[in-house]
Amino acid sequence: MKTKLKQLIVAAVAGAQFTLPALAADSAPTNATQIQIPAYAADGSGGNSAEAAEIKALKQQVEALMQKVNALEQQRGPAEQAATIQNLDQKVRVLARQRENDQDAAATVAKTAPKLVIGPGGLSASSGDSNFVFNLKGLVQVDNRSFLNEGIVRGSDSFLLRRARPIFQGTLYKDFDFQFTPDFGGSSVQIFDAYGNYRYRPWLQLRAGKFKVPVGLEQLQSDPGTAFNERSLVTGLVPNRDIGFQLWGDINGGALSYAIGFFNGVGDGRNTANQDFEDHREVAARLFAQPFKNSQNLALQNIGFGLAGTWGNVSSNSTGLANGNGFVTDGQQQFFAYNPAAGTVVADGDHWRLSPQAYYYYGPLSLLGEYAISDQQVRKGALAADLKNTAWEISGGWVLTGENASFTGVTPLHPFDPRNGQWGAFQLVARYAELDIDNSTFPLFASSATSASAAQAWSVGLNWYLNKNIRVNASYSRTTFTGGGGTGTTAPAIVTRQPEDAIFTRVQLAF
Amino acid sequence: MKTFLKILLAASLTLSAGAKEIKLLNVSYDPTRELYAEYNAAFAKYWQGKSGDTVTISQSHGGSGKQAQSVVNGLEADVVTLALAYDIDAISQQAKLLPADWQKRLPNNSTPYTSTIVFLVRKGNPKHIKDWDDVVKPGVSVVVPNPKTSGGARWAYLAAWAYALETNNHDETKAKAFITRLYKNVPALDSGARGSTVTFAQREIGDVLLAWENEAHLALKEFGADKFEIVTPSISILAEPPVSVVDKNAKRHGTTEVAKAYLDYLYSDEGQDIAGKNFYRPRSEKAAAKYAGSFAQLKLVTIDAEFGGWAKAQKTHFADGGIFDQIFQP
Repeated sequence: MKTKLKQLIVAAVAGAQFTLPALAADSAPTNATQIQIPAYAADGSGGNSAEAAEIKALKQQVEALMQKVNALEQQRGPAEQAATIQNLDQKVRVLARQRENDQDAAATVAKTAPKLVIGPGGLSASSGDSNFVFNLKGLVQVDNRSFLNEGIVRGSDSFLLRRARPIFQGTLYKDFDFQFTPDFGGSSVQIFDAYGNYRYRPWLQLRAGKFKVPVGLEQLQSDPGTAFNERSLVTGLVPNRDIGFQLWGDINGGALSYAIGFFNGVGDGRNTANQDFEDHREVAARLFAQPFKNSQNLALQNIGFGLAGTWGNVSSNSTGLANGNGFVTDGQQQFFAYNPAAGTVVADGDHWRLSPQAYYYYGPLSLLGEYAISDQQVRKGALAADLKNTAWEISGGWVLTGENASFTGVTPLHPFDPRNGQWGAFQLVARYAELDIDNSTFPLFASSATSASAAQAWSVGLNWYLNKNIRVNASYSRTTFTGGGGTGTTAPAIVTRQPEDAIFTRVQLAF
Repeated sequence: MKTFLKILLAASLTLSAGAKEIKLLNVSYDPTRELYAEYNAAFAKYWQGKSGDTVTISQSHGGSGKQAQSVVNGLEADVVTLALAYDIDAISQQAKLLPADWQKRLPNNSTPYTSTIVFLVRKGNPKHIKDWDDVVKPGVSVVVPNPKTSGGARWAYLAAWAYALETNNHDETKAKAFITRLYKNVPALDSGARGSTVTFAQREIGDVLLAWENEAHLALKEFGADKFEIVTPSISILAEPPVSVVDKNAKRHGTTEVAKAYLDYLYSDEGQDIAGKNFYRPRSEKAAAKYAGSFAQLKLVTIDAEFGGWAKAQKTHFADGGIFDQIFQP
């Protein structure tokens, strides 16, 4: 700064020596101290002594000015500079602080601002305090079923839209949840879930509306997470969705879960038609323990076992019988039906179910097993009986690519991206299941010539999880029958005449 | 069915009876963090001894006005301990969470301790700040939070206004000019008192901090008496930070009894002692005498006598379009 100032003065004086002479002729001196500028430049080679004296005087004045400038710089320069620097420093600090405050304010606003998230979990909008949440999810399953042994009349080979469900979930006032799930798959639109849920605490919640009855383990597994396209034979003996209310909760982070509810009551495997078909109600309860859920031992963390059951009473109604008045194979073909040639069978009296169940997940390994008894009093005319049907299954899986298996499915570590050599996750699955019809059923309540008294099904499959949302399944199932197989061109006779061999494939989009 | 419901009810009551862990949320203003950290521990111990129950108190701190608005908007405070009565009035009026006469429910207008506004300057007082006149001089940089969001800032503003009135024969035009000069010296407004302390003490901005007395003492304690000095002006204001149970929230949470006890205990010997220890002026004579040495004697005007109460002061000075809006341009 000092150097610049000196240079400026010298340049100004020197400049004046060259530029002012031209003006000098027109300029009259105003006082004695003013610098006298010669009419031309002194080059040392010419000019008179007066001019030389003038130049000398000028030089002296410049030197005097230089001394004054130096003195001023020494006296006031550092202080001014320090003040300037301090002033600038404060301004910078203020700006930095304002930026901090702006960031804090932005963070505060962000906490209270509504949030909109779109990702693998679907679309979620929530208020800033998360007291109000709305989620839009969806599930689409496009299947192919191909039946082998086409020499005999079989099930129809077909592509089908197995499920097409927009899922509307949300929370109101922090503690009230809701879900609404219509299904556009199949031949008609149905409402699958329509309920509200109040969370007092995780261990004390109340749900009311239409939802899954808390009984069958595989039935309670979410539709996108099941190992095979279709649930096992056991699911034919437990209720699907019903209307009612349920007190439930997860104690100690889910180490123990309970549910107890009152429902209209539905027949085995049935989904309620959104209204009751008779007067009586049904109570359902389930207790499921995962005693090591909170332990650090990974080998034990995901052991779960429990017991579930229902009890109800039905007064003389065929809707109280199993879905479609019978039971179906993995290929959804009926292999057992009530109602022999003469007379109508109805559910009439007590109906109870019991289902012990367990699963185990450890790393890529998955095991799931359940057993179900459905004991139902039936009547045909004056004839009555207490029929006890049973079923069980065990299924297992192994994730070939090493990901962890879980009750809700598999999340690939390396989502499908062939350009980068990533192929998703692959899981091998296998299942064996049996369903046994009470021997007392035949011949009064079902025809042993057409209906099987038991079915045994085994399946193997390969599931390909491209990413968290997209999955492709392929499986083979073989179902053999005990009994049935008589003449007839309709199910169940035509189904039970030979084993069912079916190949299933599915493309699933779930978000 | 009835039997089943009875069983359910009994089971629920049994589960509830076993869970005697009580949670309280105290929504407070900015500089009370240290006070309530110490007080909460003392009260929890007291309450456990008295009732056998465990009480856990959560704190929320921020500018008093902002905190009050948060409660109005749904922050579920069981109790509020704010910087000034107007902010609790706002909760009562806007959200109807407590009755209008809430301030009559506890002694001393529900103000278990008081404070005032003082100056915190850098060691050696390089700008020679002795009184309010020095604060408004050109070239003095003043740090103070935003009166729109901070209770402490409103007390500071009113203290300056009171000084200007006193020294100008209660000429409000001159007082307005005085306050205009004051805020012309403010380079940035924080939203709360603690933010301003950070601005002044940690970010090293400004020549003087207009601070709560307790906050100024705390700054000396935290950052060292070799860095700052407290300057007591000739006139300041008696700041009365009130407390109240937020009735509807407490009732909904089932915490009314413990919330009341929590505030009552502020008036106990232990509560008053903790207030004094944290540089708040205790109400009880015993604690006031014990901590008298911590507090300078100065002329303190009151909000009621000088400004006609908080409602009037708020409307005149801090409401939208009020004097503060007229004189301060960010």
